[in-house]
Amino acid sequence: MAQLRRATVIGLVVGIVMLYLAGVGLIGAFANREVVTEYLSLGQLMLLAPLLLGGYAMARQAASVIQRLAIGAMAGGMGGAVFALGILAVLALSPGIRDVFIRINENLLSFVLFGLDPGPGALLIVGLGLGLGLVGASLPVVPPSVRRGLLSGVAGVILMSMLEPFVRPRLTDFDLHDVVVFLYQARGLRPVAALVVFAVSALLGLGWRPARAEVSRRFAEADPGAQRMWRWVAALLVIAFIVTLPQLTGVFLTQVLVLVGLYVLLGLGLNIVVGYAGLLDLGYVAFYAVGAYFTALLTSPTSSLGIGLNFWVALPLVVLGSAMIGLFIGAPVLRLRGDYLAIVTLGFGEIARVLFLSDALAPWFGGVQGILSIPDIIGEGTYALPLLGEIRGPAATYYPLVGFCLVAAFVAWRLKYSRTGRAWNAMREDEDVAQATGVNIVNYKLLAFAMGAAIGCLGGAIFATHLESVFPGTFNVLVSITVLAVVILGGMGSIPGVVLGSFALIGLPELLREFAEFKLLVYGGVLVLMMILRPEGFVPDVTRRRELHEAEEGEEDEGDDGDENLTPRDATQPAPIQA
Amino acid sequence: MRRIRRVSLVDVILWGIRIGVVVFVALGTFLTLSDGLLTGENWRDLLIFGIAQGSVYALIALGYTLVYGVLFMINFAHGDVFMFGAMTAFFTADALAAPDPTTGVSLLNANPLFGMALVLATAMLSAMLVAVVLERLAYRPLRRAPRLVPLITAIGASLFISNSVRGLYGERILGYPQLEILRGTFDLFGIPVLKTQAVVIVGAALTMVLLYWFVERTRTGRAMRAISEDKDTAALMGIDVDRTITITFAVGGMLAGAAGVLYAIVFPQVHWFMGFLPGIKAFTAAVLGGIGNIIGAMLGGVSLGVLESVAPNLLLLGFGVPSPNQLRDVVAFSVLVLVLIFRPYGLLGRPEGK
Repeated sequence: MAQLRRATVIGLVVGIVMLYLAGVGLIGAFANREVVTEYLSLGQLMLLAPLLLGGYAMARQAASVIQRLAIGAMAGGMGGAVFALGILAVLALSPGIRDVFIRINENLLSFVLFGLDPGPGALLIVGLGLGLGLVGASLPVVPPSVRRGLLSGVAGVILMSMLEPFVRPRLTDFDLHDVVVFLYQARGLRPVAALVVFAVSALLGLGWRPARAEVSRRFAEADPGAQRMWRWVAALLVIAFIVTLPQLTGVFLTQVLVLVGLYVLLGLGLNIVVGYAGLLDLGYVAFYAVGAYFTALLTSPTSSLGIGLNFWVALPLVVLGSAMIGLFIGAPVLRLRGDYLAIVTLGFGEIARVLFLSDALAPWFGGVQGILSIPDIIGEGTYALPLLGEIRGPAATYYPLVGFCLVAAFVAWRLKYSRTGRAWNAMREDEDVAQATGVNIVNYKLLAFAMGAAIGCLGGAIFATHLESVFPGTFNVLVSITVLAVVILGGMGSIPGVVLGSFALIGLPELLREFAEFKLLVYGGVLVLMMILRPEGFVPDVTRRRELHEAEEGEEDEGDDGDENLTPRDATQPAPIQA
Repeated sequence: MRRIRRVSLVDVILWGIRIGVVVFVALGTFLTLSDGLLTGENWRDLLIFGIAQGSVYALIALGYTLVYGVLFMINFAHGDVFMFGAMTAFFTADALAAPDPTTGVSLLNANPLFGMALVLATAMLSAMLVAVVLERLAYRPLRRAPRLVPLITAIGASLFISNSVRGLYGERILGYPQLEILRGTFDLFGIPVLKTQAVVIVGAALTMVLLYWFVERTRTGRAMRAISEDKDTAALMGIDVDRTITITFAVGGMLAGAAGVLYAIVFPQVHWFMGFLPGIKAFTAAVLGGIGNIIGAMLGGVSLGVLESVAPNLLLLGFGVPSPNQLRDVVAFSVLVLVLIFRPYGLLGRPEGK
């Protein structure tokens, strides 16, 4: 009986999620983005995925296999039924309801009913719900390795079809026209090609874990000299890959890479402040803006200063200036408690933006018009590199940017395991104890703030020269929150995490142009879901993970009286030692 | 005996800021007033506008304060709850404002009290719903997490709610229908007051009195106060903590919804991003009054509203700054920063650690 109630609740949730996805416009936006030409579109995948997940969520707790499948199918069917009822209700209330929910239109309704009449369409949705619920419920039954294979197969197919606009011209450039014809038809994958891609990526997914285990075993068995050699080889391969990336990917993707690189840089800076020192800074965009505006003032011949310095001459001044500003802003606010600090920094971010925008300061910063004609980062935007030849376009920014990212990552990595890093660690875990053991809280907080500011303004400087202009509208609070999401997704305090976060949150949305208007929605969702499900991020930093799961470890011997330890102060205290 | 107190760099900067602010305020006020750029009537209008705007801030600030009182967390998404209430109520207001085909008068104008009650009910119910769902889904799983975790969740929730509204209702700016009877001004002891502003001030005041009664005189209100004193002991005394927290969110959401409608009376345009600035400012108001303190939130809201409308003119006009009203947000944020630095427990709050 309890199982049935759970199935009903999950079905209801699934149905509401589907209605939400349709109403918010996601399904409509992706309706025409084909994954397998004529068979499956991304919109359909999005519409149907909740049914599958509902079945999956349901089946994890049931007793026997048969019961699992039955209950899973029920949850899926319920979900389908709720969604179908919702759509029928919308049809009954049309056209009035369309004034409220503007995404609901003929196209969307016919899309979610699979082009059928309301009656058969609704039945089809319920049937699909039953089926997908069943499939979802059967997933926990199959061995984990097979599940991983299936998952990576599906991911491979979706990725290949999403990459179509970039893969197609690149393959044509490299004279691989036959491959293009085999793979793609219109904008999606050809059915046969989809099967091949699925098989290849499923095999990769199956083989990945054993292969990695084998490699690390052999590596561990090798003697130290060989280990060192292999490390160097791996590092060289990675560097070679990074260096040739713009040549492989073409102009548009290089542009995307530059954007990703900028956020890697910003993320590394914020990671020092949030991840290492545990200070939540929501005004990070202020430093980004200050860096960009300082660079613009110093280098643009048309700015109010009008001195037109070279970028590399201006850069040290900009970085030093921003670090000073970081110190100056940081000094008064760093005595505040964590959540107040977040709000104050948010205030600083907004003050910076409004000041840059205001008419009062327009003689210096150009007001709404911003500052134009900022020179390129190197020469006239083109230069020659050994082996690679003439570099132009976004790639001209890409190479210096990668250099800065590597330097910043190196600095961050060295800091993390230094005396300073340990002091930050202690401070983040418990300020009072850290202070009692002789850590100078204020100085270390200031140092973190200034480091973050310096890296953030470096990002701003590169951004300004890359766009060759700065406008106040670019520097709003959403930038701060995006950088925060990048840091959170990868994992606070984790350097690889920042890279992963930038690629996932900045790179992927660029590949799907339809996605642009839902980017912020997804960032918000990512922040909430990560905090609830996986606060340590996807590439967690070891110390940070322990910290965040302290409370749960403590929970085990406290039983489940949910009201204990409720005050946040208590929750940060170390878990009791278990007997 | 030598007693040398070490003066740190931070202290120097803090004193520098204190002196700077005092000098700036004194000089700016003196210059503006001696110039006589604005007449007494100008100042009076700015003041009344400030009070009206401030009472809306106060209503939102109460939501922050209530939640902070029981959970010790900043519900960053509260501004978006306010936005959701205002946006949803727009559709009720719009439907009611459609003119009757036979008489040509819309229901809203024919029966303004009933119409406004419906609009208000829509706003309060929808905002309440969002606040309760938010608490249940996003905050309840995090009761034991370190302090920053719920805050980050709240930031994410704020982004999620505002962008959901952007998707569901669209990116358009919706113009609220205006009530016929609220056009123009009326005389209050010889002072002309805009009717809209008067309605907002009175409405907000009534709501706040109701809330004060609820918190101070009802059983649930007492439970809320008990939880804010000591959660564990409250639970031992038989108070259902989870239920009370849900009620707190519901009450905060309803206040935000009411604030949404009042806001739309003063500034009759609503859109999906409107929650951010009033949200931050209401938070400033809550901190200004002393977060967790109900009277403080009311006081803080009104003071911030007045400061925001008077201060840019009073301080900056004298320096010859063009269009000082552009900088009103800077004033609000500077107040926020200064209050948090120098008096983080606010005007009426007590210092941390009791």
